[in-house]
Amino acid sequence: MMRFLRRYLWPRWVRSGRVLLGLLSVLAVLAIAVVAPVLAPHDPLAQDLSLTLRPIELRGVYPLGTDGLGRCVLSRLMFGARAAVLVALPAALGALLLGGGLGLAAGWLGGRVERAVGWLAAAWVAFPPVVLALLLVAGGSGVAMAAMLSAWPLFCRVLRAELQAVAGRGHVAAALMLGFPRGQVLWREVVPAVLPAALALLAWVAAGAVGLEAVLAFLDLGGAPDRLSWGRMLADGWEVVFLAPINLVAPGVVLFSVMAGLALLGDGLRGTMGLALPEARLADDAMAGDGP
Amino acid sequence: MSVLAARGLTVEARRRGGAVPVLRGINFTVEPGQVLGLVEEAGAGAAVVGRAVAQRLPPGLAMVHGSLSFLGAELMAMPADEMRGLLGREIAFLPPSPLAALHPARTVGAQLEAHLRRLGVARRELRAKAVAALAGVGVAEAVLGRLPHHLSQEQCQLVLVAMAFAGAPKLVVAEEPTAALDAAAQGRVLAAIQALRRAQGAAMLLITRDLLLAGAICDELAVMTGGDIVEIGPAASVLRAPRHPYTSSLLLATPPMRGARPDLYLLPEPAAGERALAGVAGCRFAPRCPVRAEYCLRTEPPLEGDAHRSACIRPGLVPTIVAQGEVPPPPWRPVGEVPVLALEGVGKAVTTGPAWRRETVAAVHDISLRITPGEFVAVVGEEGCGASLLARLAAGLEQPAAGRIMLAGVDVSVDAASARQQHAATVQMVFDEAQAALTPWRRVSDIVTEALAVRQSRSRVRETRARQLLAEMGMPLALGVRLPGQLGEAQRRRVALARALCGEPKLLVADGLFDGLDAPAQADLLGLLLRLRHRLDFALLLVCRDLAVARHLCERVLVMHQGAIVEDGLADTVFGWPRHEATKALLAGSPR
Ligand code: SF4
Repeated sequence: MMRFLRRYLWPRWVRSGRVLLGLLSVLAVLAIAVVAPVLAPHDPLAQDLSLTLRPIELRGVYPLGTDGLGRCVLSRLMFGARAAVLVALPAALGALLLGGGLGLAAGWLGGRVERAVGWLAAAWVAFPPVVLALLLVAGGSGVAMAAMLSAWPLFCRVLRAELQAVAGRGHVAAALMLGFPRGQVLWREVVPAVLPAALALLAWVAAGAVGLEAVLAFLDLGGAPDRLSWGRMLADGWEVVFLAPINLVAPGVVLFSVMAGLALLGDGLRGTMGLALPEARLADDAMAGDGP
Repeated sequence: MSVLAARGLTVEARRRGGAVPVLRGINFTVEPGQVLGLVEEAGAGAAVVGRAVAQRLPPGLAMVHGSLSFLGAELMAMPADEMRGLLGREIAFLPPSPLAALHPARTVGAQLEAHLRRLGVARRELRAKAVAALAGVGVAEAVLGRLPHHLSQEQCQLVLVAMAFAGAPKLVVAEEPTAALDAAAQGRVLAAIQALRRAQGAAMLLITRDLLLAGAICDELAVMTGGDIVEIGPAASVLRAPRHPYTSSLLLATPPMRGARPDLYLLPEPAAGERALAGVAGCRFAPRCPVRAEYCLRTEPPLEGDAHRSACIRPGLVPTIVAQGEVPPPPWRPVGEVPVLALEGVGKAVTTGPAWRRETVAAVHDISLRITPGEFVAVVGEEGCGASLLARLAAGLEQPAAGRIMLAGVDVSVDAASARQQHAATVQMVFDEAQAALTPWRRVSDIVTEALAVRQSRSRVRETRARQLLAEMGMPLALGVRLPGQLGEAQRRRVALARALCGEPKLLVADGLFDGLDAPAQADLLGLLLRLRHRLDFALLLVCRDLAVARHLCERVLVMHQGAIVEDGLADTVFGWPRHEATKALLAGSPR
């Protein structure tokens, strides 16, 4: 699998600006989420009611100012990354495993399994994702679970379609003919071919989950009212927008750039993965180099 | 005035290492009502001429000198909107893959009418004109309401022919117009093109790799290699008395349709890459020329002669290039062996058509067939005759709905699990479109030894076997580390062949193994299979479009028509004295 990644996927990724930019923003958020306790100048929950709504003072005690309860905006942003990661990562991976697994099983096994999964996915997407998530959250499930349950049909459908395109190819039939068990053929010949689509979708779904978390937090649904999240910060900032606009602008900018980064990553992956070699030129070399 | 005239047409590819010539100052003219064939083995330079006429060169290519004029008007200097006015009206194009040229989601009628509308046909006459245009190529009116992928390739191409000629063009540029078609359809499409062309007095530029096909419909032939025209003249004269070694070796690399089966001429090495051509002095064909001499390397031979010109300083030696021997007869077999494959009354239906109008048709029915060990059998037939399905049934990729399939005496239509093992040991298949048939991310040496991966052999064992197989296929060992995308088309087919032969199956099923290859690559692969046959002793079931290839390789031929085998016999008998209409149609379409 590693060899596959190196040979097949790597070369063009590194040259694609979109992928690099997206990867950079995602890694930055991950890193901040991990080291937030070390990096943050203040306890994000500590209130200082004598210093509320401070403006930006880059060199000061509160670099990005404070909110209406005198809490450090910068620290809250950093800790907010944790909330985002804790929702996006499990939601995207869970949706990949659940939806991707069902989609591949449906496409590969066909028959009754395919019909059942098809119906289930179709019925599921009949609910608009946000409404579904609202219902789930109102029903008491976590935000990550809600995001995952609203995203799995996407993986299911996309991967099943990709599989159908790949399954007709000669190399799949050839592997079957050589006597590989069907499960192995799926793993050796089909999964690597649908992986680019899956990875791209992973990035998009993660972006969606981050957005969903913000929306729910803004609406004060699912989770404690004083939790640390960019959406919550937006809601709080909204109330004091004329007194200290940074309280609205900072979480807005961060949220936007993280979602845009993820979307860019997804787009970039979709566009650049695949066979990465300039075919004609290499063929020329082959002829020039190997001729008698 | 000539319809199309190229004078010193020079096109270069801009690469990092500098400019590489793709066309090196070529000259030709197409007179009104005439057909000029541009023939080249890989078709690279010839196809660029077609693109230059449309003023749509592929990215990275640019016309640097010379002129290309249409009815006296220079195409290079023409403003873009005037050019657009010309294309589709005065100059029409026929593409190699008709299905890809039509919009997949709009009905044929809508596309045809949109085209007529652009040509200025009044709205209320559209329907009648569209029907008339289709009638002109012999396509039924019912086709108008259908989507392209519900039609056969032949029908799609005929629709495009109707479109091309709807505007009464002065010039038609046809690039491999029959590349996607079977022999019978090829005959019908070419006949339709010729009939319309003659009626309208249009000229045509035919770009193809098939010298005989070009010879059958062109008035004049220009043979290209390495970006030059090396021979140009009246078609009959070029084919009968070639004056350039390249033309002659192309002809000798093409299997004949009757008479003895000579060994095919093997051009010494594949066409040199663009890069290798850059700085060669003297005759650029010299590295591959069988009759070259020392002084050929000194000066570049000019294109000389009167009506029939060639760029060779020793044209007198061309007739001395001849085939060396004959194809050896098939190896001797004892009679009464258990057939390696036996089909008894096999049938299978498939459903086709749009979702709201599904039709179940018997794709193959009541097929009975025996193939003895070591026998080479070709299956030919029109598109949709069921030959490909027959191949997949034989390979075990499809299960029959009726009848029995026996592999080496074992009935494999009963128990699926043991059948799969029996299949893997006895039968292997080579697929067409070698690109998609090879796992794109696996190295060549891993691909050819996939059969060993099933048994989880050690990597050392696989490495050794990979070397053996590559050597057997006549491929350089260095190619083992390449990915399929880094190989040429002919090499990819060898890799697919090696993968299938790795476990030494008793029967090889090949669908479309030779389709889309040019003559030298085809000759090479044919020679390889004939050699392997004597070494490895396998039987072959070959589904094949080219009748001459079928005859060259296989002693026995099956003709399929509408899902049934309608003729079965020795290749020379079936093709020499065809009895069924389907066979006659196929023969009529083969330009030999
Ligand atoms: S000029 Fe010489 S090398 Fe070139 S084609 Fe003629 S004989 Fe061959």
